[in-house]
Amino acid sequence: MEAVIPEKTTAAHSGEKIGSQHIGIVVAMLLGILLAVILCSIAMGAVRVPIQAMLGAWLNQQPLSREQHAILFQIRLPRILAAALVGAALSAAGLLFQGLFRNPLADPYVIGSSGGAVLGACVGMFVLPQLSVFGFSATALLAFAGSLLTIVLVYRLARVGGRTSVVTLLLAGFAVSTMLSYSSYFLEVLDEDYGTGMRVLASWLRGVIGIPRWGQLAVIAVMFLIAFAFCLPIARRLNTLALGDEYAQQLGLNVERVHISIIVVGSLLTAAAVALGGLISFVGLIVPHLARMVMGPDHFRLLPVTAIAGAIFLVVTDTLARTILAPSEMPVGVLMAFIGGPFFLYLLRRTRREYAL
Amino acid sequence: MTSLLDFHGVSFAYEGRTIFSGVNFTLPRGECVALIGPNGIGKTTLLRLAAGLLPCSAGRVLLGQRDVNTLRRMEVARLVAMVSQRVEVPFEFTVEQIIEQGRTPYLGLFGGLRPSDRQAIERAIDMTDVGYLRHRIFNQLSGGERQRVKIALGLAQEPNLLLLDEPTQNLDIGRQLELLDLIGNLNANGVTILAAMHDLPLIEGNFSSVLLLSPNQPLLQGSPSSVLKPKILERAFNCSPRQQPVLVKSDLLKDAAI
Repeated sequence: MEAVIPEKTTAAHSGEKIGSQHIGIVVAMLLGILLAVILCSIAMGAVRVPIQAMLGAWLNQQPLSREQHAILFQIRLPRILAAALVGAALSAAGLLFQGLFRNPLADPYVIGSSGGAVLGACVGMFVLPQLSVFGFSATALLAFAGSLLTIVLVYRLARVGGRTSVVTLLLAGFAVSTMLSYSSYFLEVLDEDYGTGMRVLASWLRGVIGIPRWGQLAVIAVMFLIAFAFCLPIARRLNTLALGDEYAQQLGLNVERVHISIIVVGSLLTAAAVALGGLISFVGLIVPHLARMVMGPDHFRLLPVTAIAGAIFLVVTDTLARTILAPSEMPVGVLMAFIGGPFFLYLLRRTRREYAL
Repeated sequence: MTSLLDFHGVSFAYEGRTIFSGVNFTLPRGECVALIGPNGIGKTTLLRLAAGLLPCSAGRVLLGQRDVNTLRRMEVARLVAMVSQRVEVPFEFTVEQIIEQGRTPYLGLFGGLRPSDRQAIERAIDMTDVGYLRHRIFNQLSGGERQRVKIALGLAQEPNLLLLDEPTQNLDIGRQLELLDLIGNLNANGVTILAAMHDLPLIEGNFSSVLLLSPNQPLLQGSPSSVLKPKILERAFNCSPRQQPVLVKSDLLKDAAI
């Protein structure tokens, strides 16, 4: 029947980028790199704390000086762990949104969900500062609500007949982002405690990873872990969704329900990232794209790789941001805009040519 | 003979416009049926109703005696597979990864592919002869290759009934004949097939019966030679018999193929 004699492929996964049996090795390698990057980053800064001194303190109980101890545990480590969390959350959220919109250009910043989270957090800070849930400030919760509302809005606007065109997605995201960032300025006017709120808002809008308290870090880490646990079953569904709504439905998925769970989990991740680092652009775009180039498009394998690679990526860029202009610091959001902007344009050009969506 | 699919007085309206109403037919197991009719008459809609992708406005669609609307989506996906005309994949999935998606209705939320799933995937790949495309990127395939991979995806669902929406559309004559060969082989291997067909000359000899949807007429069901008659087609497609190509060659040639 076939005119062409099928050419037998002997190697089980010759055409795939990295075989499924290697995923464990890749994840272990990336975790090792993450640990190394964190150690290097701790050592770097205005006050150098040599790695030997840290290892000595850990292995031989040679105590660090009080100054070194304070720098490590009150300043650097919380900030570096925050950067790792932000990077992992933004990258995983980017991967989810790209699967949802079936478009490699979707990123929490581009589609406006980061902006929505900032607006939600601002409402918490300026309008309802006394509101608290289970003893925690409602900021993170309102950031989640803001992000959720924005994506629902963009989703409604940008999807026409089950498809999302690049142009509508970007324009919807742009409009929502613009409205949100200017509403944030409006909220400044409502600032009763003149100064504090403005400073926080300014750092959110620039994408500064602050120095969180350990309690705050723990809350966000739990939020991230819960969201990530829900990502795992979603990841397989994303592969099916890639075939389009009709195929996904034909293959037995309740498409609406899957979309809603992606939106909720993606918003949770975005809110976690924004609570620690404000508006940091394009991380959720660059990291999944690079991971896809190495691992192929299977979301189940991409998810852990993207999250860890995102953590590495942001720890590195944040370390650069705080050391490159030492003794002064640059917000990592500014650095990301410099790196991510051109990358986004490159991807836009490529996407329009290849996918014609 | 057991019936796999029954339409009982099925009507469908979309945004207030009636596409068709009161459609009755029965599809017995093992048949290879062509669904024909003029453009816009609702062939794709009928397939979607059969796959439970659309709710009908009146009447009942039965899949092996069970109402499709009372079944869970996953259950329907194990009974019927629909091969749609268009599929656009935004990422660079390999052919094998695409076909693996056919196991979706059998997987739990956390489970991966089990050996039984692997076997079903390999069977689907063998039946459609796409083993040599396994590691190619789906988006880079030709039209004919894509069509075969889409059919493999449907077969990986291990359905009782395979619905094909215009499987020969946009293919050159060589690929069309290859695809009809494939359809014949699948049917010979026990797969029941309902295919919406555009190219009437391809029907005779390749399908065991024909369903004709025509405007303002009840659905007509019969053998290719009884349905593909100039008078009937004139009414359904609004074209004069003199301009029609000869569609049923059994009158001319002695031996009817297959």
